[in-house]
Amino acid sequence: MDKPDPTQRTKTRTKPEPLSREEHKKQSEFQNEAVIHLNSLYNYALHLTMNPDDAEDLVQETYLKAYRFFNSFERGTNCKAWLFKILKNNYINRFRKNSREPGKVDYDLIKDFYHSIKDTRSDTSESDSDYFHSLMHEEVYQALHTLPEEFREVIQLCDIEGFTYEEIANMVESPIGTVRSRLYRGRKLLRAQLEGYARKYGFNTDTD
Amino acid sequence: MNCKKARVLMSAAVDGELTLKEEQEFLQHLSECKECHEELGEAKKTKLIIKERVVQFKAPQSLINSIMQLTGFSTKEHEESLLYE
Repeated sequence: MDKPDPTQRTKTRTKPEPLSREEHKKQSEFQNEAVIHLNSLYNYALHLTMNPDDAEDLVQETYLKAYRFFNSFERGTNCKAWLFKILKNNYINRFRKNSREPGKVDYDLIKDFYHSIKDTRSDTSESDSDYFHSLMHEEVYQALHTLPEEFREVIQLCDIEGFTYEEIANMVESPIGTVRSRLYRGRKLLRAQLEGYARKYGFNTDTD
Repeated sequence: MNCKKARVLMSAAVDGELTLKEEQEFLQHLSECKECHEELGEAKKTKLIIKERVVQFKAPQSLINSIMQLTGFSTKEHEESLLYE
């Protein structure tokens, strides 16, 4: 994440209409607590929408809302989790009507989306010695997207974003027991998917 | 502990979310059950693959700019343009 340009700060301080001290405080706290999660939120939005423009809109809306209601953010709790919850709610409100049919996977859509965005925006450092190198990013990505939404979501929140079960339970509005079992079943489904890819590319799943 | 109970705890074991008591019982079962032991290994591997291999994208500069603007200096017009575009 880019740090705010220090010259910009100086500029705002000399602006003709200076912001109140409180507003300043809110802004800098918001930068430190919320804006640092921009990339994570963008990726989450991409996963949900599968469309870069929609993802951008969703993230903007989320930050607007978050900034406006920043006072209601419980200090000391996980701000990233709070932002994810807001984004998820925005997503549901906005896209519920034309949501994809559950259980149906459009492989072409996933593939197209992946290729359209991969070359320009990939944030991965590739290393040939990587243990999992034989498994292509694209295959893992596709495998993840073959899962039913409820499983994919918890895997994403847990394995990619590193949220705790309690935070995930709060985000998906289900008990922790449900999170546990969705993760268990989701990973099992995923393993079956990945095994196919792994075998194809010579990655031996029998060894540790 | 039987296998059924162990499977309920499997994901929490992978993610370090077991209570101390659960962990003790779970590990006890694993030492006696090859199948569950292997299953835990597979689940851990699956998590690692997702963690390592799912590409994370960088937010586009235009998005970064507009969020920075929001928190740097926020004008009514700017907010409205974001809300109603």
